[in-house]
Amino acid sequence: MTVKGAFCIGMLVLTGSFGFSQNLLEILDEEQDKVPQFTEATFKTTRITFGHSIETRKKGVLELFVSNRFWNTPEERTQSFLSDRMSTRIALEYGFTDRFSMGFGGTTWDGLFDGYAKYKLVQQGLEGKGSPVSITLFQNATYFSEGIANDAIADDFGNRMSYASQLLIARKFSRKFSLQVTPTFIHRGLEFSEEDPQNHFAVGIGGRYKIGNHMSFVSEYYAVANPIESFNTYSPFAVGVNWEIGDLMMQFQLTNALGMAEPAFIAQTRNNFNFRNPNLNFGFNVAYIMHFKRKLKGLKQEKKP
Amino acid sequence: MNKLIPILFLVSFCVHAQNTEKIIARQGNVAFFSYTSVENIKAQNNQVLSIIDLSNGEIAVNILMNAFVFEKALMREHFNESYIESDIYPKATFEGTISDFDSSQSEPHTRIVKGTFTMHGVTKTLDIKTKIEKIDGKYILTGTFEAVVKDYDIKIPPLLAGNIAKTISVDFRFEYDPYDS
Repeated sequence: MTVKGAFCIGMLVLTGSFGFSQNLLEILDEEQDKVPQFTEATFKTTRITFGHSIETRKKGVLELFVSNRFWNTPEERTQSFLSDRMSTRIALEYGFTDRFSMGFGGTTWDGLFDGYAKYKLVQQGLEGKGSPVSITLFQNATYFSEGIANDAIADDFGNRMSYASQLLIARKFSRKFSLQVTPTFIHRGLEFSEEDPQNHFAVGIGGRYKIGNHMSFVSEYYAVANPIESFNTYSPFAVGVNWEIGDLMMQFQLTNALGMAEPAFIAQTRNNFNFRNPNLNFGFNVAYIMHFKRKLKGLKQEKKP
Repeated sequence: MNKLIPILFLVSFCVHAQNTEKIIARQGNVAFFSYTSVENIKAQNNQVLSIIDLSNGEIAVNILMNAFVFEKALMREHFNESYIESDIYPKATFEGTISDFDSSQSEPHTRIVKGTFTMHGVTKTLDIKTKIEKIDGKYILTGTFEAVVKDYDIKIPPLLAGNIAKTISVDFRFEYDPYDS
């Protein structure tokens, strides 16, 4: 071994040890990488616009969810205050665990009572690790409470029930942009005509783009593969803005979908989207969030030394 | 050549010695408190990483922002997405030195830790009064410091300005174990 060679090795060891002692933070970074990380807030609200998003409410969170749709009749002049017609859905939605939540609500206009259960199956990982998408399972059931106009239809419980099953698949592409694809299966209890299918397949696509730290632009669309034949139905579409301030989350949207439960708005939207009356609905949803399980109860601030 | 061998030996010994002289806290505790007349907010993170080089008293801390647990579940989402923006700035770090650090001292004593704290992309110099204890051969560091929200470029919408304190007080407690890489 020459002197030069030994010197080189010496330098190597030296720089090695020097570099090692300098990078305490790097050691911690390596430690950190061992813990799997997940994305947060692909969407903020449990709905994108009218349809459900992959988000579920966390354990012990009760959400009072009030959705409204306002629209006008085609008449030239009316004397209604604000708008000619409105429909309201009032619901309570609760997170039983961080992954599982349920909700129950009723809609004034079409007399639909609905309930749903939602389970978050997979949460998207961070920085390419873990799952590339988040997946949530969704099951809804609605009960039609109004009188059935058609005498030919038996007035029994089964006929009044409709169901929607959805697989919500979403990916947060960047901090601003998230996209969701929603394969849907709907079973309608009411058979308006023999030519109508009672089972529908549909697919929804929805996304959000954040335009501020507390505000995002959202849009959603559902296409039905085998729509109702006996009357014209159209694909529900919405554009809107979601805004959240603390415990209050608000959604403003323009849509052609009148219904607020899945079987209603996906399969039975009777107007196409345009800016004429009564096609255009103004939607305004408010979710007020209450926390019933407070964590960190025992946490007290240290006394200053 | 003959002179170099002891140096080499010494250097490699140094490397070895340094390895054994590092202590790490993997479940460090950091809690912060914001008190206003409208709302009290507290949050806790018990997965904070910290490492100390006992040979020179250098200390580093790595706080993962999305590991903070809040009283209200929704606050955590807001904190990460709208305030601290943890997708861009996933962690806060502290790098500094314990002044007059003496690893042979076993009595509880208080030292100033001088260093730089980086959060939300902003770096500030901090002097933190820290209590150092050695219980059953384990180092325990505890202390508290204050952070001014405005200093870290964290935007709070005017509507919620009353809900979040201008100054957040931060408590920490780290229990160290020997680190072997």
